[in-house]
Amino acid sequence: MCRPASGMVILLVLITLLATFSGSSVSAQTRQEGIQIPNPGADLWREVRKRQQPAAPGVKAPMSGAPGVDLWAEIEQTGRAPVGTTQIKSVDSGMLINAIGDEWRRFRMERLIPYAGYAIAGMFVFVVLFYLIRGRVPIHAGPSDKRLLRYSAYERTIHWFIASIFLFLALTGLTMLLGRSLLIPLLGPEIFSILASASKEGHNLFGPLFLLALALVFFRFVRRNIYQRGDLTWLLRGGGVIGKKHVPSNFFNMGEKSMFWMLVLVGGVTAISGVILVFPVLGQGREIMALSHVAHGITALVMILVIIGHIYIGTIGMEGALEGMTTGYCDLNWAREHHDWWAERCENNGEVVTVEDAHGAEGFAPGAPKRQSIVEAGE
Amino acid sequence: MIGNFIDGPLWYFSLGVFLLGVAWRLIAIVRIGVAVDFSEPRNGGSGGALRTLFSRSLPRRPVITRGKVQLVAGYMFHLGLFALLFLAQPHVEFISERITGFGWVTLPHWGFILVSEVAFAGLLLLLLYRLMNPVTRLISDTGDYTASLLVFLVMLSGCLALAQAYEGLRLLHLLLAELLLIYFPFSTLMHAFTFAISRGYTGASMARKGVNA
Amino acid sequence: MNDRIEAALSELRNQIDARVSSYFSSCVHCGLCAEACHFHVETGDPRYTPIYKLEPMRKLWRQEHTLSGRLGKMLGRSSGPDERDFADWEELVYDSCNLCGRCSMVCPVGIDITYMLRKQREAFYLSGYTPDGMQKALQRTLDIGSPMGVTLKTLKATLAHVEKASGLTIPIDCEGAEYMALFSSMEVVNFPEYIGSVTRIFDAAGLSWTISSEAFEATNAGIQIGSRDGAREIVSRAVNAAEQLGVKYLISPECGHAYTAIRWEGPNLIGRPYKFKVIHILELLEQLQREGRLKLNGKSDTPMTLHDPCQIVRRGGVVDPPRNLLHQVASGFVETTDHGSMNFCCGGGGGVSANERAEELRLRVFGRKKKQFEESGVNTVVTACANCRIVLEEGLEHYEMDTEVIGLTELVAEYLEQGID
Repeated sequence: MCRPASGMVILLVLITLLATFSGSSVSAQTRQEGIQIPNPGADLWREVRKRQQPAAPGVKAPMSGAPGVDLWAEIEQTGRAPVGTTQIKSVDSGMLINAIGDEWRRFRMERLIPYAGYAIAGMFVFVVLFYLIRGRVPIHAGPSDKRLLRYSAYERTIHWFIASIFLFLALTGLTMLLGRSLLIPLLGPEIFSILASASKEGHNLFGPLFLLALALVFFRFVRRNIYQRGDLTWLLRGGGVIGKKHVPSNFFNMGEKSMFWMLVLVGGVTAISGVILVFPVLGQGREIMALSHVAHGITALVMILVIIGHIYIGTIGMEGALEGMTTGYCDLNWAREHHDWWAERCENNGEVVTVEDAHGAEGFAPGAPKRQSIVEAGE
Repeated sequence: MIGNFIDGPLWYFSLGVFLLGVAWRLIAIVRIGVAVDFSEPRNGGSGGALRTLFSRSLPRRPVITRGKVQLVAGYMFHLGLFALLFLAQPHVEFISERITGFGWVTLPHWGFILVSEVAFAGLLLLLLYRLMNPVTRLISDTGDYTASLLVFLVMLSGCLALAQAYEGLRLLHLLLAELLLIYFPFSTLMHAFTFAISRGYTGASMARKGVNA
Repeated sequence: MNDRIEAALSELRNQIDARVSSYFSSCVHCGLCAEACHFHVETGDPRYTPIYKLEPMRKLWRQEHTLSGRLGKMLGRSSGPDERDFADWEELVYDSCNLCGRCSMVCPVGIDITYMLRKQREAFYLSGYTPDGMQKALQRTLDIGSPMGVTLKTLKATLAHVEKASGLTIPIDCEGAEYMALFSSMEVVNFPEYIGSVTRIFDAAGLSWTISSEAFEATNAGIQIGSRDGAREIVSRAVNAAEQLGVKYLISPECGHAYTAIRWEGPNLIGRPYKFKVIHILELLEQLQREGRLKLNGKSDTPMTLHDPCQIVRRGGVVDPPRNLLHQVASGFVETTDHGSMNFCCGGGGGVSANERAEELRLRVFGRKKKQFEESGVNTVVTACANCRIVLEEGLEHYEMDTEVIGLTELVAEYLEQGID
């Protein structure tokens, strides 16, 4: 689990180093400043951008005399671009100017980027404050020497599979989304351009893998995540995190189940909108692409926020929570306190094992002989 | 400066280490030899060696029923890696330019992406399962993790360089591939060659006894 | 380091041949061998992973045949095996391995793990870390002539019973006979029916055969424990006797390890090919039946299944004869899910049945056979190895199963066509 992540860190450091030392062909071209090449498209665009406020509907904007600007004004008036005819037969090929493109651009630049930045920063602040106020949720009865098998090797494997892919996608995605505001000032445009290209390629390649991982996780865990009696009580009592009393729950509690369905539904939207974006050959037009991007951005942001919480509660937020997903076994007392209906069922079925057996069975005690070694016995 | 080094001397050095190292390892193995078998064979050994060389690529029942993760992820990784290494256009171009002088048929870009994804999924699953499965966790050593991680980094850097627009990313990929070449002969990655010897020995000795291994 | 360990390490060093080196070079620690091993499958204990049982040998290989190992040794970071490893691994090497070879059939890179474990036992024998039960079995074979303490006198008493019951004479030390038969002491003591059966079959087939008073024991405790000298001594007895009598064929009894010992390991232990051929009793029966010399009449309609003894089938190559013979005498023969060269061991092979310490584990692992038999849906198991048979009977009794075990040769003898005269 930590290995691919640490590999990623090594790689990012290497990219930075290499980019620093080797320079790059593309950045060498863009660096040639001061050369004046006439670019009418850019001039038009600049003109359009000057008009900060769109004209109010119904009020005819004054004609500027520049044909491009007037065309733009007309688009803003009618809300859709005039469709022309062309011999090129493909989606949107008759459209000279994409009407909602600017809307989408504004959404991304003025809403998504700043709000995403604030939301993520806010979530981190919230988690830190929560930790400072609430502290680590302990195992009240203290750690025991008994264990319950919580996740099989396969279940843990697919968990860390989706986790490592998610982390990679989140990091590369955020690099592309927030890089202009956060990373260019830090790294400079040359290094960032390499990082952005790398992030884009990595993000595109790993994206479909998330869909695969999601499918594996869905089919494996769906049965245990169907809402049951008692889940509502759990929710009403704040999952025991707010109050002091234990709240009974099953193998997964209401929070975990909701997290699962969020992953499936919201994550599903992220994944599918991502596929629409990464394969622009499926017949989708610009409008669908723009909408997909909006959906992709918002759902991914929601996922990242929730996952930050998930990581917190799974690691420093709660004693005994991580073990189940690393060793496969959880502490009996932890299970009694957080999943007592499940723990009770396991205890009734005689599934409780000692910590030694659990570690032996999980291969965590490297090569420890069961029998006392003869050398020691003889000495 | 560093780019020229990676692209030039280091490339030839790593290729040399790889080729000589692999040859040295193979010779060192075969040179130990095996004792003459005086028992009267039921069948000749060479047929069995050849058969097992191929038949072991197909799983037997215990693997199908109890080793599904290794089986599926193993196939995904090995087939995917093989395809992307030898059938991806940038690789074929590189090999043709630097080594063989001729190229061959390549996958279309989408095919390249597809096999890369299959290989990535396989490798990640194998690496994670190695950590999570009690058996592999117990028997794996540093070499297994180093090899997996190095292959992963080579593949990842290759994926990051897919745009083929930045020299830095290409050099990073090349550098990691060179490290892999240097590491190869001294690691479990050697199984890519020695599997044939192992299957051959086993196939031959079992065929002598009349068993289809 | 004491002399024993010194000798053991030197032996281990000599045991590393091209095959072993290639095998360790190829192993990527995928763990699939564990899924084939009944010890791991039944207990879930990762220590019972077959390749892990070879850790002492792998340590030495790593130290002496790899660059990192040699560098480590030069830098004083030695990681070669020491006495501790022999002590710690004794249980894994002897109690939890039947040398059954199932793991060797599934390894994706084709590693013959059993081949290496057999070699590793040679070093363990010299280190002194061997189970008492197996040491005693070897000592009894060397001193008395059989692991169970069966002497010529005991055999003769059994033969007298057989002769009386069948009215036939068993030829002893008959020079110029074509075939010489060996037995396992388990057959002499527990299953004399086997001897009676072959006597009747050979008589009916008109086979020219004999047994030798010099050597009648076929099993070889030396091979199981890993004592090359002991194994050579035991196998030489049979070879010398057969060559003295000038027979053309030596008949291995049903017993699996005996077959491996005399057929596949023997010539290598004495360092030369035999002057005769070795044939397994089931091969011989099938051959006689094919040639029309063994006439069978009638079939049992009892549903029955076959337990393949590892050393005869998977490691011995006698795969089809037991099936062909069983089809001749049984109309209700069904195979178990894993059969033939992929069958599960009874749990008693490789000397485990002679190792009292391993009994609890052996019975636990028998759970696999239990499931296999239950799945087959029949209550009669045919096998062709006296050791398998006794281990199966013990296991079935332990699990209170109502399953009968019968020997294949006896079953064949039962359907022998009665002479018209």
